[in-house]
Amino acid sequence: MRRYVLRRVLHAVPVAFGVVTVVFLLIHMLPGDPVEIMLGESAVPAQREELRRELHLDRPVLAQYGEFLSGLPRGDLGTSFRSREPVLREIGRRFPATLLLAATSVGVAVLVAVPLGVLAAMRKGRAADYLSGVASMVSLSIPNFCLGPLLVLLFSVQLSLFPVGGYGTARHLVLPAATLGTGMAALLTRMVRASLLEEIRKEYVTAAFARGLTGRAAVLRHALRNALVPVVAVLGLSFGAVLAGSVITETIFSWPGIGRLLVQAIDARDYPLVQGCVLVVALCTVAVNLATDLLCARLDPRIRYE
Amino acid sequence: MPLSIFLAAALAACAQKLPVDEGRLVIALPGAPVSVDPRVATDAYGEQLLQMTHASLVRRDAAGNPVPDLAERWESPDPLTHVFHLRTGVRFHDGRPLTSADARYTFEWILDPANRSPHRALYRHVAEIGTPDPRTVVFRLSEPFAPFLSTMVRGIVPAGSPARGYTPPAGAGPYRIDDVSPDGEAVLSAFDGYYAGPPAIRAVTVKFVPDSNVRFLELKAGSVNFALNGVDPDLLPAAGASGRLAVEEAPGGNVTYLGFNLRDRVLSDARVRRAIAAAIDRESIVRALWKGRADLAESILPPGSWAADAGIPPARFDPARARRLLDEAGYPDPDGDGPLPRLRLTYKTSQNELRRRVAAAIQEQLRQIGITLEIQSLEWGTFFSDVKRGNFQIYSLTWVGIADPDIFHHAFHSASAPPDGANRGGYSEPEVDRLTEAARRETSREKRREMYLRVQRILARDLPVFPLWVGRNVLVRDRRLTGFAITPDENYAPVAAMRILPAAAASAGAGAPR
Repeated sequence: MRRYVLRRVLHAVPVAFGVVTVVFLLIHMLPGDPVEIMLGESAVPAQREELRRELHLDRPVLAQYGEFLSGLPRGDLGTSFRSREPVLREIGRRFPATLLLAATSVGVAVLVAVPLGVLAAMRKGRAADYLSGVASMVSLSIPNFCLGPLLVLLFSVQLSLFPVGGYGTARHLVLPAATLGTGMAALLTRMVRASLLEEIRKEYVTAAFARGLTGRAAVLRHALRNALVPVVAVLGLSFGAVLAGSVITETIFSWPGIGRLLVQAIDARDYPLVQGCVLVVALCTVAVNLATDLLCARLDPRIRYE
Repeated sequence: MPLSIFLAAALAACAQKLPVDEGRLVIALPGAPVSVDPRVATDAYGEQLLQMTHASLVRRDAAGNPVPDLAERWESPDPLTHVFHLRTGVRFHDGRPLTSADARYTFEWILDPANRSPHRALYRHVAEIGTPDPRTVVFRLSEPFAPFLSTMVRGIVPAGSPARGYTPPAGAGPYRIDDVSPDGEAVLSAFDGYYAGPPAIRAVTVKFVPDSNVRFLELKAGSVNFALNGVDPDLLPAAGASGRLAVEEAPGGNVTYLGFNLRDRVLSDARVRRAIAAAIDRESIVRALWKGRADLAESILPPGSWAADAGIPPARFDPARARRLLDEAGYPDPDGDGPLPRLRLTYKTSQNELRRRVAAAIQEQLRQIGITLEIQSLEWGTFFSDVKRGNFQIYSLTWVGIADPDIFHHAFHSASAPPDGANRGGYSEPEVDRLTEAARRETSREKRREMYLRVQRILARDLPVFPLWVGRNVLVRDRRLTGFAITPDENYAPVAAMRILPAAAASAGAGAPR
């Protein structure tokens, strides 16, 4: 297994390299000049040239790319054009907030989706199944930029239960995590239901029933574990979607995370900051996918570390 | 929303006391400052925050005239010399007394190339800063520069203050910054040593809330109680209908305009530009889309400015005249009432929702006179880059923060093409060049005004840009908050004069909503 993990970690290197390269090329191809955005229109040409030189923007794009790459092994992601602070420090300040939000919403989504999905599967065709199906469809159909303000309107403005936005306490976390996690919970509920229904039809479950196990014991002890393998795989894959969704959710709830930082960096054409943010998000996605693969192998011994 | 309901049920919490009940003013800004150091801050949010915390040598009044702040008076013995006499008894937040050395340090720091201040170019005319005594600062310029006084609105920091990223240097303003978190909020507290007396509201939080719907909801919930131009015109009636909030409005200073590319074969003809201006019904756009919260503009200078020309005849909506002008310019209607247009033009704008709706309204109005307008709504960086490179036929933008009529040199002098200025349409008129150059060097306010009035008449005739309107400044605040005087330039310094009324007095009807 150790060799497998090592190999997967090494696989992350070309992935990160590819992502960084594509982002580097795309952001340099975008119209818009960081120097002009930073200095505004009142600056004199000499000042622009000075700043361009200082930010190394006067060098050929390939040289800038090489410079960026050479810093990576040392953990040097460069300096933000906008704030003149190291990119790593800028990201370090925002990343914990995004991680907290993403982990909470995924965690809560799992806590909601597994019992609901099991319930829907065990009560297939009955009221509970229909209700969970309708609730899932509704939740999946509402985009975050719509759900967020609706939750605020109900729980903050009408009921005064939670703050509208901001960061700091557990109560600040509730609405953004609900916004980000709702769609995912709905998706997972449907996945758990479908996967579990498929397992229940298999012979080993029939055998369990034949041995005299109650329906609950057969499903929870035997079928659920196997049913969770595809669910965990989807969970890992959708983590990237959660990070992407955090861009909108963080803006709605004034959440000081990396999603908002990335949008601001793109607006300001802050090349090093954009590259740093994307790199960190890419590495996170790779890490989560590795973790879910390991978890799948743990859940299903037939999956080998190959 | 099963998850939401589950969470709400799981985490029941009781209603909390509102900040205003605890004596706290909570201001919502649409974005976080990039910097909280007056020597480097260029973004609007940074400057607005610093207006509450850092005093400058002079302030600007509503008409853009300099008025005393840290300098109690000033004189200019010759066009190259400006002498400022500082107030006595002024202290910084850290307790140090203000002297002329601090003022000199602040501007020398900005001028030092090693510090890379984006404001350096603004002070390029400063040749030398002298401090003959602790109360006097003397600026010597390399050439006469009439707008100099307006550049003195820059927060002064104590001598020796290092620049430390997101840690603000001390200031001499009414509030001090206790804490500021990027993308989060800034916490301010009243400075008891403020020279004009400590402010009545002791605690201020500035929240950075990027989403306009959420700003409105925060106001409704009471977790924000002050937002200047932070609520969309569509939501203002709902804000006014709330019992706790009051809506106030005052004339604004940011002029929205259409820019024409005069290098374009079609638009180089003034008759075509005049036809477009005559075909746009500004009043109905202001009424329908701005909900009446904008005033028509005839110049890019804010109407309240000392150099604004109140005598320019307003551009009248006259589609018949527009059609005649197009006929004269050689663009007859090819098929009468048929579908074929006389002209096709492109119109570039940003992705701002209100701007997109304005663009659609203008598109429809121009269709009436036979001009087909293709709207390109672009991401900000791309849009602004296109505008600066002259890659447009028509664009729409807003001039923000015009402090001095020297803007006419910046925007219309033939030598001010980007990147040396903002003459993006390639306008060239020798008379405007001559007048804007002379006005820069003229120290008599009255003579300068005369020159700028003439410039404005010429621009109204040539229409290199078509001024549309000035959005009114709209303040949504808790009814119990009083004493804030809205200025055209959205200055936050008057926060220091605010008070919180007792709950009973406010319910008696302070501040009627409009």
